[in-house]
Amino acid sequence: MDSPAANFAFAKQIGVTFPLLSDMNHKMLKTYGILKGYDVQNETYEWARRANLVIDKQGIIQFVEADESAVDPNTALTMCTTLHKKDAAK
Amino acid sequence: MKHMIALGLLAAAALSAGPLMPQAEKSQVAKMTLKVGDTAPEFTLLSDGWKTVKLSDYRGKKNVFLAVYVLAFTGG
Repeated sequence: MDSPAANFAFAKQIGVTFPLLSDMNHKMLKTYGILKGYDVQNETYEWARRANLVIDKQGIIQFVEADESAVDPNTALTMCTTLHKKDAAK
Repeated sequence: MKHMIALGLLAAAALSAGPLMPQAEKSQVAKMTLKVGDTAPEFTLLSDGWKTVKLSDYRGKKNVFLAVYVLAFTGG
């Protein structure tokens, strides 16, 4: 939801090695069902829910979690390791 | 003098807006229908370098960990 410019500054600040992505038109968030609308004084403001998804090389979802459970990414990371080991064994 | 009036108005606006917010707030939670085993819908997002990144860019090459992490910079 943040702009690429804000993400660029944040990426530089924390030194990430993966891309920080922006969904400026909310298309992906809507498709994935992770956009939340808040009504505040007759105006609706949209915000993303926290979510973690692991998608394998074939494009199949192997892990999905949202909201409170998605605050800790470790379960999703374990799934990544499992997938990586499976690929290496092939 | 003009500056003092402007400041006063701002403060008053902030004070009156504050307590109204929680009463008026209502939330609508979208339904996350995607589940394990589903084909992940294609998406196009913008990277921090203003380049488009598509899910299909990684098809057959890499597994993808997608973390939707709102307000990461706030510590909240």
